[in-house]
This record gives sequence, C-alpha cells and structure tokens, in this order.
Amino acid sequence: MAYKPQYGPGTSVVAENRRRQMNPDIELEKVRDVTDEDVVLILGHRAPGSAYPTAHPPLAEQQEPDCPIRKIVEATPGAKAGDRVRYIQFVDSMYNGPSQPYQRTYTECYRFRGIDPGTLSGRQIVECRERDLEGYAKWLIETEMFEPALTSIRGATVHGHSLRLAEDGLMFDMLQRCVVGDEGVVTYVKDQIGEPLDRAVSLGKPLDDTWVKAHTTIFHSLVGSSYRDDEEYIEYIVRIHSLRTKYGFMPVEE
Amino acid sequence: MTEAVVDYPQCRITPLRMLKPDSAELLLNGIVEISGIRRMTINGPNLPRTVPYGPARGKPNPNSNRKFITVGGSEFELHVQVGTIILEVLDDEVIEKIRALCDRFFTKFPYQLQTGKKYMKTQPTVADYAKYGPNADLRMLGLTDPRNKEGPVIIQGR
Repeated sequence: MAYKPQYGPGTSVVAENRRRQMNPDIELEKVRDVTDEDVVLILGHRAPGSAYPTAHPPLAEQQEPDCPIRKIVEATPGAKAGDRVRYIQFVDSMYNGPSQPYQRTYTECYRFRGIDPGTLSGRQIVECRERDLEGYAKWLIETEMFEPALTSIRGATVHGHSLRLAEDGLMFDMLQRCVVGDEGVVTYVKDQIGEPLDRAVSLGKPLDDTWVKAHTTIFHSLVGSSYRDDEEYIEYIVRIHSLRTKYGFMPVEE
Repeated sequence: MTEAVVDYPQCRITPLRMLKPDSAELLLNGIVEISGIRRMTINGPNLPRTVPYGPARGKPNPNSNRKFITVGGSEFELHVQVGTIILEVLDDEVIEKIRALCDRFFTKFPYQLQTGKKYMKTQPTVADYAKYGPNADLRMLGLTDPRNKEGPVIIQGR
C-alpha cells in the first residue's frame, strides 16, 4: 500500500487547518490580490523593475561537474539564473494568527522547492533564490496563510507576536511597518526591515473574528480553541514525549 | 538608621488591548483628577526614536504611537505603547474610585484591575543606590529606568 502522509493528529479546527496548510494537494483559499511590484516593495531587496542581481553565472553558461544528484534534481528558476539568496520573515500573533513558525516551516517544506527555512519562537524566516522567493512570498501573502492584522512581514525588530493586540486590532510593531487607514485597510508604509516605502502597499482589511477563528493554526485557551480540548492531539504528544524520554533506555512501546 | 517604609496600596490597570495615545491621554486625564494618587507609571513595549537594530539601524523610526500627550496640564512624550498603568495611592478608597472610572472608560474591550503592594518599587535596590546614593527620594524609586536620562513627569496636584 502506498504511503499516505497524515500531516498531523487532532480533531479540532486548529488541527484540521494545520493539515490543510501542510498538504500540498489542497489548494488554499486565495483571500487577496497583490501585485508582483507590491511584493518586491515589501521585501525591499531590489528596486521594482530592476534586473535580478546575480551571485554566479547562469547554470547553462557554466560547466557543471558530472554529478548524479544534479541529474535527478532539476534546479529552480532562481538557481538556474544564478540569483542571490534573499529572505522573507513572518511574525504571527498568538491571538488566532493564521499560521505560526513551525507550521510555516512544515508547510513550506511540503509545498516549495529550494528553500532554507529558519524556525524561531516568534518568527519564521525562509531563504531562497530571489525570483523563487518572490513567487513564494506572493503565495504566502495572498492565501489564507496571511491575515493583515495578525500576521506581519518583518525582516528585523520582530517583537510583538505574544503581546496583546493594539486597540485597532493590529499586532504590536515597534517600527509600525503597517497602519490601519480610515477605511480600515491595512497599508504597509515601510518595507520589511523598516525603511519607508516610496508608495504605500495595501494588503486589504483585517478579516473578521469568525474567519480568523475558523482559519487559525494556533491553540489559545482564551481567544480560540483550547489545546486540552483536542484529546487526540494530547494523546499523540504524550506518546512522543514518552517515547523520546525512554529512548536510549528502552525505546519500546508497551 | 533606615526610615520606616510606609506601604501604600498599589494597583495595576491592564486593558485587554494596548491603548493608542489618544485613549491613553483620555484615561490618564480621568485618573489624575482623582485625588489621593501618589505615583503613577505607564508600562508597555518600547517605541524607539530610531531603528535599534537590523539593516536599517540608526535610521529614524516615525511612529504615530510615539506622541506628545498632555496629562493634568503637563505635556510629555509617550515612549511606549500603553499596556499597563501602575498606581500607588493613599488608601483603598482611591482604588475604588479608579475602578469606577475604568468601568466607565473601558466599554469596547474589557480590562483587569489588580490590587496589591508589589507593582512598583518602595525600597531602593543596589542599582538605585548606585544611581541616587544613600539619601534617595523614595517617591522617585521605580518611576523611571535608572539608566534613562529623562526623569519622571511631575503632575501638579490641584
């Protein structure tokens, strides 16, 4: 029988959302539209419309060593062109954010190629070739992996994921990269490292509470669904904890 | 001989959402009208004037939450996004007046008012001793960061 990945345990909405994000066979709901130029502006790695700076000549122009792995794995478009390696970093609020660092890394590993994710407690960075990155970043912003108020694109000074939200519902940002306009639209006025943008980039209105609760991948006993209510998840975690504790002594399930 | 320290009651206001400068100004102006408040501290995450680290380090950090507000006739700049307000008061009745004010003020989201005696320093620590010496003014303790050059804001009583 062919192996069928289960992606994760749990019977709660949160568990189901985690599986949905990770499973590459499921097409995630597209929630907003951003242009390629918007993405380039927020990333701040190059000026919109400029050529991609390169780190090495295109693969087609250089002599490649005779390597079996290179024959099996096709290079991504960015690697083929010799692009620089650049990054995008996300911060998700613990108050029902649509994703979270580990979840983002799992999702990206299942869905993207040629990436190097970095997972930290409050932020998640993914590095890859620049033109691949822009495509991935666009997908990460346009789909349900992003929520304008509860997710933020922050290259540096990321503090805020565990803080209470501000009055207008935005996650705290020391550099105030995005602001809520008069019509409630979240607009980025600085790029991800905090340098002012030439033109503001609009990412739409924050989504309502019902949507946020239905699409979150974070357990939160006060504002969302409680971890302890998902018995299957607890059972799975207890099993892993028990096995890794016994491992090296008697790694046998009783 | 050290002076006997009088333990005044303290309380801490924690709204569910962090306040914008306008709301904070409104709330603080309501609070300072209540008589019997000795000391007050505003806490919250820092809003630096320049980008503190990262590739844009040292560049200006325009932030609409870092704003001058006027409380009780004294103007000062908010350095933090207002998360909690800690107050030291003369007696428990004052706390009840603050509670009544907060009940009226926080209508859009809830708040929590905690009472006790340990939210603000009452005795000098070693750092305070190094900064202020042996005859430190006890009223000034814990009001500002000892490393900060700016002192506390004095709001005149009426």
